[in-house]
Amino acid sequence: MSIVINEPGLIAEPEPIRSRGGIVWDTIRRRPSATIGATVLSLIIVCAVLAPWIAPYGLHEQVGPPFGPPSWEHPLGLDDGGIDMVTLLMWGARISLVVGFAATLVSMLIGGTIGVTAGYFGGKVDGVLMRITDYFLVIPDVPLMIVVAAIWGPSLFHIVIVIGILLWTSTARVIRAQVKSVRERVYVKRARALGAGHVRIVMRHVLPQVAPLLIANTVLTIAVAVFDETALAFLGLGDPSRISLGKVIENAFQRAAISSGAWWAIVPPGVVVALLILSCSLLGQALEDALNPRLRVAHVSARGFRLRPLVGRNADAL
Amino acid sequence: MRGADYLLKRTAFALVTVFIAVSINFALFRLAPGSAVSNLSRVPHATQETRQALKKQFGLDKSRGKQYVLYLQQLAHGNFGVSFANSQPVASNLRTAIANTLPMVLLGTLFAIVVGTFTGVIAAWRRGTGVEGATVTSALAFYSMPTHWLGLMLVILFAGILPTGGMTNDFLIDPSWWTHLQDVLKHMILPSLTLGLVLFGEYTLIVRSAMLETLGEDYILTARAKGLKPWAIVRKHALRNAMLPIATLVALSLGYIVAGAILVETVFSWPGIGRAVYDAVLARDYPMLQGAFLVLTVSVVFFNLLADLLYFKLDPRITE
Amino acid sequence: MSALLETEDLQVWFDLPGGGTLHAVQGVSLGLERGERLGLVGESGCGKTTTALALMGLLPANATVSGRVLLDGTDILRGAEETMRPHRWVDLSMVFQGAMNAFNPVKTVGSQIVEVLELHQRAVGRAARLRTGELLAAVGIPDDRADRYPHEFSGGMRQRAAIAMALACNPSVLIADEPTTALDVMVQAQILELLDSLCRDFGLALLLVTHDLPVVAQLCDRGAVMYAGELVEHGSVDALFHAPCHPYTRLLFAATPDLHGDGLPASIPGAPPRLDRQNEGCPFRPRCDRAFARCVDQRPLLRTVAPEHGAACHLNDVAAEVAH
Repeated sequence: MSIVINEPGLIAEPEPIRSRGGIVWDTIRRRPSATIGATVLSLIIVCAVLAPWIAPYGLHEQVGPPFGPPSWEHPLGLDDGGIDMVTLLMWGARISLVVGFAATLVSMLIGGTIGVTAGYFGGKVDGVLMRITDYFLVIPDVPLMIVVAAIWGPSLFHIVIVIGILLWTSTARVIRAQVKSVRERVYVKRARALGAGHVRIVMRHVLPQVAPLLIANTVLTIAVAVFDETALAFLGLGDPSRISLGKVIENAFQRAAISSGAWWAIVPPGVVVALLILSCSLLGQALEDALNPRLRVAHVSARGFRLRPLVGRNADAL
Repeated sequence: MRGADYLLKRTAFALVTVFIAVSINFALFRLAPGSAVSNLSRVPHATQETRQALKKQFGLDKSRGKQYVLYLQQLAHGNFGVSFANSQPVASNLRTAIANTLPMVLLGTLFAIVVGTFTGVIAAWRRGTGVEGATVTSALAFYSMPTHWLGLMLVILFAGILPTGGMTNDFLIDPSWWTHLQDVLKHMILPSLTLGLVLFGEYTLIVRSAMLETLGEDYILTARAKGLKPWAIVRKHALRNAMLPIATLVALSLGYIVAGAILVETVFSWPGIGRAVYDAVLARDYPMLQGAFLVLTVSVVFFNLLADLLYFKLDPRITE
Repeated sequence: MSALLETEDLQVWFDLPGGGTLHAVQGVSLGLERGERLGLVGESGCGKTTTALALMGLLPANATVSGRVLLDGTDILRGAEETMRPHRWVDLSMVFQGAMNAFNPVKTVGSQIVEVLELHQRAVGRAARLRTGELLAAVGIPDDRADRYPHEFSGGMRQRAAIAMALACNPSVLIADEPTTALDVMVQAQILELLDSLCRDFGLALLLVTHDLPVVAQLCDRGAVMYAGELVEHGSVDALFHAPCHPYTRLLFAATPDLHGDGLPASIPGAPPRLDRQNEGCPFRPRCDRAFARCVDQRPLLRTVAPEHGAACHLNDVAAEVAH
């Protein structure tokens, strides 16, 4: 198997995809940004999932005065209700992750379906679907989310749906582009010629090829969903019966943590959210890069090419 | 005229989008089950007569279809209803709010564009060096911070040094024009900075990406072959071309700018349209909420159209 | 008298994104005399374009170069970018592949030619615009086209404009890298015609990089064949066609279809060796029809087999040994 040099781009072609699940794993192992992203994300998920068992104190257990400062027993201090911050963060991460994943699932289902349908059938169907997508793309999501959440009422379910129905647009576009290119491939055309039904073709041929890109997009969407949840919670539209990281921040804000000097009630939850978004972004971006590699090298940069002193290899000169 | 077609198409698209937003607005409030519908005429503290008058005005006694038409007519006349909170017409509330928001948001966005472009170009230029790594990492870090949280961080950091709430100092009595301006600007620093910092992170990444893409183009190689010096190539050829994808992507970030504005104004109690949204949500002031949503959407659509026009001007290849 | 343009043991390595290096050019020594036309041929990926780019120092930051590039006897590669840049366009200029966007799409074609005139101080302002008109006329483009954008030109016209731009500063060497790929057949012929007459009229030396052998036969006096980053044979076009001294050359030239095909012989089975690792023996051995024992572990060196004719093949060495 030779390496083709795309002259004058002059970079070796990326290693061919060995197996479909493989490329995701491959990227995580090989690219440092993906490794970091995946590791941090997994850590947070693990902590959140195991929260009921590994949280140091009870979620509603008052263990000290309101806004108690950090100490050995409570490394991150206490919130306004005297509850341990570390515990709050773990439980909060649970809800944030649940909302993030659930909303992303909703948006993936909508966006994926629309993308596949538009890309696969093309023509009029494609035109109409993309028109609709374009309109939704322009309408700003957060204000619409706020309006819908305000009318519908705060509950976890509502929040998930609200975020989900507004995030699908970028997924739809990306998937559509990918499906379009897959559709033109030889084996798909052959399957059509042999009379395979549309559903079968989509399931067996199109989806597997589209899956890695879908995963990359999913991860990036989770980042946005988590952000949206914190925003909604901050504006008082979160589910009042559940504590998410966004709610922790909102509580601190509402109960005047700043004027009490209780920075520990505000800084840590934000850091966790930022880490969550950062790790998803790193992972998702690395996956996308791996699937759509930029094969071209910059022709100009601050550093020029390097010179090595003459290496002797005797050949008769002309 | 070149591309008259294109301009017409984009304008038509903008108008249709606004129409859709308006309809969504109507659907959400008038058709939604529950209290929202009947709330529309329930201005608190209003007399029975006022209520009846409002009921008639909004046609709540008529069919849905007729309500829709009435709604459109009222909008066309600039009638956005009456706010529950202060019993003032929503339209005038919004007018003040927008006037307050625009300068703050523009300052923040400008900061983000200027600094973001600068760092993005540097990162692309110094590809593969520590400078690029550091720039990208900090850009990613700022990009990942929730806007409202960053605002709170800045409040903690700068409390006492810069004003952290409101748009003006309430204790200034009858200030001169110049003092007033200075006062407002001082109050504007933190909210604009918050908005700008998160935005700049995204822009750095976008600009860097666009620059790298551009620097790999064939005509850049030709420019180098022609004997141009590296920085001259960037200045004369690359920057101009990289502006194209940057313009589009800035347009796409408008949705985020709106979200950011709402959050920032809430944190800093800035009396703009974002804060109006927050207050409206708290007070369940539906007319205000509706009106604000509409204004925000129309603004975004408008700026998107502007971006389309800018793109059209920058790229001679667009004719259709 | 030294050749106009020479390379001595030119080597180029590229750093690969996943680590490791690709040895793209492995010791190429070429010479080009004044007014001479040399065709540099080989299949895709053999390193011919990299070699051409290296002559002008147009390699990216992930490249490492060694060897010498002599222009009129002076090593211009000595100081890397700094010593190469002054010679670009004024001594050596280049025309790229027909498919490439040599012109910046957001600027007019004319302005980009003026840019080159002003940069090298051949003309300024009005005089530059006039000169641009003359250059375009010389390649058959009416001068009102100068204010048009590249996308308004057809592929062939764009290439002609690129040639006009390449000649703007009166270089002594023109490097043409696959100038006719992706252009349609009729246009290809026109472009070649144009190159032929311009080189003749201006006494230019031409280095034509291509995988298309009939073109070499038509335009060039001499040819050099590259395989897997190495120069495997060089000589007059006549000699290469009728008396090749390397199996690859023989198979390559024999496989040339009669019509203007897309060049590459589908008939040599196998693929070139990977350049990101050290290879033992002759790089062509796996695909060679005359390989023998020595080819497995000894690299053949480029040796003179006849006056002005060199090849790197053990078969020649054996023949030479036997003759003694």
